[in-house]
Amino acid sequence: MDGIAGKKSGLVWAVHLSTIALVLLWVVPTFGLLVSSFRTGDQIVGSGWWQSLSTQVQQLAAVRIEGDEVERDGVFVIEGQLYAAGTDVSAWGTSSREPEAYEPGAVADLGDGVTLTVGADGGFVLSSPSTMADLRMPRVFATASTPPEFTTGNYSNVIASPLAGQSIGQAFLNTMTVAIPATIIPILVAAFAAYALAWMDFPGRALLVAFVVGLLVVPLQLALIPLLQFHNWIGIGKGYLGIWMAHTGFGLPLAIYLLRNYMVGLPRDIIENAKVDGATDFQIFTKIILPLSFPALASFAIFQFLWTWNDLLVALVFLGTGNDQQVLTGNIVNLMGSRGGDWEILSASAFVSIAVPLAVFFSMQRFLVRGLLAGSVK
Amino acid sequence: MHPALQALFVIVIGVGGCVFYFYASNIFLDKVLYPARGPNAGRNTNRANMIRPWLFLFPALALLCLYLAYPVFATAWLSVFNRDGAFVGLGNYSAMFAEPKFVESLQNNILWLIVVPAAATAFGLLAAQLTDRIKWGNFAKSLIFMPMAISFVGASVIFKLIYDSRDANLSQIGLINAVWLKFDGGVGSFLMLRLVPFVLIGCLFLAILWAGWSVLRPLVQGQGGSILVTLARLLGAAVALFLGYELAIWLYGIATNELPYGTPQVWLQKPYWNNFFLMAVLVWIQTGFAMVILSAALRGVPEDTIEAATIDGANPFQIFFKIKVPQIMGTIVVVWTTITITVLKVFDIVLAMTNGQWETQVLANYMYDKLFRSLDWGMGSASAMIIMLLVTPILIWNVINARKEMR
Amino acid sequence: MKTKLLVSAAALALGAGGAMAQDLKYPVGEGAFNWASYTAFDEANNLEGQSLTIFGPWRGEDQVLVESMLAYYTAATGVTVSYSSSEGYEQQLIIDAEAGSPPDVAVLPQPGLIADLAKRGFITPLSAETATWLTDNYGAGASWAALGTYPGADGTPALYAFPYKADVKSLVWYSPDNFADAGYAVPTTMEELMALTDQIVADGGTPWCIGLGSGGATGWPATDWVEDMMLRTQPPEVYDAWVSNSLPFNSPEVVGAIEAFGTFAKTDAYVAGGAAAVASTDFRDSPKGLFSSPPQCYMHRQASFIPSFFPEGTELGTDADFFYFPAYAEKDLGSPVLGAGTLAFIMKDSPAAQAFIEFLKTPIAHEVWMAQTGFVTPHKGVSVDLYGSAALKKQGEILANATTFRFDGSDLMPGAVGAGSFWTGMVDFVGGKSAQEVADAIQASWPK
Repeated sequence: MDGIAGKKSGLVWAVHLSTIALVLLWVVPTFGLLVSSFRTGDQIVGSGWWQSLSTQVQQLAAVRIEGDEVERDGVFVIEGQLYAAGTDVSAWGTSSREPEAYEPGAVADLGDGVTLTVGADGGFVLSSPSTMADLRMPRVFATASTPPEFTTGNYSNVIASPLAGQSIGQAFLNTMTVAIPATIIPILVAAFAAYALAWMDFPGRALLVAFVVGLLVVPLQLALIPLLQFHNWIGIGKGYLGIWMAHTGFGLPLAIYLLRNYMVGLPRDIIENAKVDGATDFQIFTKIILPLSFPALASFAIFQFLWTWNDLLVALVFLGTGNDQQVLTGNIVNLMGSRGGDWEILSASAFVSIAVPLAVFFSMQRFLVRGLLAGSVK
Repeated sequence: MHPALQALFVIVIGVGGCVFYFYASNIFLDKVLYPARGPNAGRNTNRANMIRPWLFLFPALALLCLYLAYPVFATAWLSVFNRDGAFVGLGNYSAMFAEPKFVESLQNNILWLIVVPAAATAFGLLAAQLTDRIKWGNFAKSLIFMPMAISFVGASVIFKLIYDSRDANLSQIGLINAVWLKFDGGVGSFLMLRLVPFVLIGCLFLAILWAGWSVLRPLVQGQGGSILVTLARLLGAAVALFLGYELAIWLYGIATNELPYGTPQVWLQKPYWNNFFLMAVLVWIQTGFAMVILSAALRGVPEDTIEAATIDGANPFQIFFKIKVPQIMGTIVVVWTTITITVLKVFDIVLAMTNGQWETQVLANYMYDKLFRSLDWGMGSASAMIIMLLVTPILIWNVINARKEMR
Repeated sequence: MKTKLLVSAAALALGAGGAMAQDLKYPVGEGAFNWASYTAFDEANNLEGQSLTIFGPWRGEDQVLVESMLAYYTAATGVTVSYSSSEGYEQQLIIDAEAGSPPDVAVLPQPGLIADLAKRGFITPLSAETATWLTDNYGAGASWAALGTYPGADGTPALYAFPYKADVKSLVWYSPDNFADAGYAVPTTMEELMALTDQIVADGGTPWCIGLGSGGATGWPATDWVEDMMLRTQPPEVYDAWVSNSLPFNSPEVVGAIEAFGTFAKTDAYVAGGAAAVASTDFRDSPKGLFSSPPQCYMHRQASFIPSFFPEGTELGTDADFFYFPAYAEKDLGSPVLGAGTLAFIMKDSPAAQAFIEFLKTPIAHEVWMAQTGFVTPHKGVSVDLYGSAALKKQGEILANATTFRFDGSDLMPGAVGAGSFWTGMVDFVGGKSAQEVADAIQASWPK
């Protein structure tokens, strides 16, 4: 007995360890983006995100000296602080060619009696025998260690950006308006069709299954022009009604396919017993199949919601880009400006748009399990 | 009216309308058209049962025909005209096959079609099986599922950051290059870059050869089946042979190649390998999908079959491969099919990361290029038809599977 | 019935959302603006209650700028304007045009695409007076008018698109401090530029930052280089013949221009990171090398928009500046300028759309934007003192001093080349293929 128990616990450990390894592999890319979304653009391109927590020794961007001139005993002086607190300067210079020419505290002679000193804490003193009002201010290059620094500025940029008059809240609402009906309606329509394809006997059933699988592969881009033409022709043009119909049409093949596969696996005896008891197909469907298929319905609902939520192409074509129609993906893409984006906006916006789908998944997960338990009780 | 209110309205009208349609049409069929009473009760019931499936199917079929089947026919029609609207027959197709970029994308697509569904399904199955058994399984599942919630464009951003490369004297911001630069050709490098990959890929190589043989075995032993089954077996064996050949080249490469230690690599510009870096993005996304569906199926496996096997002394691996996997084969086919189709359609990843340059073109992006860059509807439609043709083996497999289930 | 109700409800909701009043950026009557043109336009047009949809390429900060200009149009005419844009706006416009629901007015930066749309009959031609107006009132007016003139559905050429807003591409950006530290002077001829390049290498520095990376559009910055070299090695007529493919892409003139670009991009010592890094460096990251310390490079050739990608806090004029990408002194080709721009055209004719084109002729439509940022115009009636910065003014001068102005050739070529094989060909070229090989491949891809 002991031997078996020992083997068992060894196996459990192996399961835990491999799960951890798998999860880490899957999370690291997203985690990197999450960390990057709290850094400034210059930091993101300056060092890897995994270094963001450590104090770094690096060449800082050149800073031009500025400040008010004070006259002291016939000497004109500008004093000030070059860097944020915590910075520790190890070398500095005044020319891009020799950025590490001086030790902290050393005095650099800039000609005409002008001298500059930069201390280890980034404090500087620029002094000159004559006024410096017309002097071209020198730049300071420094090699310094800087403490880790994070910002929530990227998120406030994404969330509160007033660009183009549309708030992100409005875009959120628009996306919801698109996604919810476009998730519910195809499920309902597909459930009936899936039941017919799984449990009703009629000629041509296998062919219809093949037809549905075949339609799965139709590239969306091809359907755009004929369908928009069709919408214009029947008079609904560009609008919410059109996009709901489009998402329903595009989502149906997969919905039917997944649901049919699940329903085929339901125990045959339950359905046959019900038939013997005189239940009609309609009753069997609503009273037995639908409740039993809940996990499949829930998982398809999650996928369809994710697709409509993340979709940009269908929304652009069938909905338009006005302020009360623009969806979240469109809003974020516009934030990036006409010439493509910067890491910091891309990363922050990715997390803003991921929040709702994740919440949906977490809340639906409960239903996934519950439905399964119900299904296993026969 | 605010669109959100309108959405509520539409949910109510849409859902109510659907329910009403199904309910009313069934009542109409049973009570008015063919009532199951009177002199013709038996005949009427039969007739009603012949019509009923079509009542259930009608809304779905109508939408499918309008939104998907009609564009397919329109595409097939467009594909025989050139950009000036003149009929060219199969001219677009022959022009396409003469284009090196098209042949390249066809080759790449075949690689994608084999690697991505296989890897995503395998990882998904692994994740489903592992997380089913442990307390924090649901949490682990959510984390693996997370990439599904990221749009393809977002995912491309994430992986561009990972694959980023910069000059050797700057600090790397791409994770892969940062790790790569840690290797210096010493013992650690030998262990991590030669020995471990060699063993892992060697195992995969043997597993694939074994799988190919077990697919082919019934044919060699003369157990016939229908023509479709034979074809499917031959195709499976061919795929296994092709993969085995590729992996053999890999093994040779791992053992002998000189590695450029110490210099940052531009991963997305290494022909052939860059395809795998792009595929990794899709595998990363689709594993969550496979995991969710397969874990539902795994939980549906009846406990008594597992208990019986445990009592017979089967070890966990035997239970998994001999009891569970065969029982969820139908679902595995579904997951494989769905991911295959996603692979055929995905162009965002390639468009955003390489736009098909450095020999990474795939058919969907080629089509997008022809449609919207070159404004050549004929060529674009023709390439779309090729994409749809590629799905035929999957189609046959599904028909076989559906027939089996219905018996 | 239900459908109709919903549709009208949606239309109502739309109408209510669209009518947003925007404050005018500069009060009418103040400053050096040409207010007379505004008042005249105001008095001539009253289209209260009408609406106009405009679809254009400007997003993000640019969208704020264009909307500040559109506010004056709304104030003068009473027309409700809804401007929108999106990523992949070209594709969306094509889909909308084909499906029959185009915007009233569209703005695109690709004359090649507009010509295609005109050929298919999607665009309403502009009046002949507008063509004359362009010739008279734009600097190098005839070439601007030619830019908007294409054969229509019936094959007769007409003015279809109105050029509005220009970009100067022949600019070299540098850091004046770095030049001062090293004692370099701004070159005025291509020979001096080449000498400076060698001088920097001799001093142990790297002269150029070149980055072609742009995701799906990787390669386009190189097309600008080749076009600029084309204008500097060949007379403008050859350039025009090249763009229309009456001079094949693989002819020696073009191959020579590609090779001239190659002298910069394919010499390891000339570019930051070596030639291998050129294709992989993102064009947005590339100029940052000018400002690192020690500098990764001293010069960066890019169009007038690039300062948006300079590090935060970079001040134009002090921290960064630009000079004209010079011409060869030994070749007698004057000072050619490569540029780009956007063109507005009517897709659904209406009085409001016609009035919009008229509005674009008024100096005020140009001055409002040029007084802010990122806007250069060839309009001769504007007051140049209004340029929002010295940099813009200098660009305006470069544009005005040009002996030859040519539009970005890749935007004029068919999409399959200008946004396809030309880009990929340039990536192959810096990746190691020879100029002749690449040019042959591009020529083969030219739609017959």
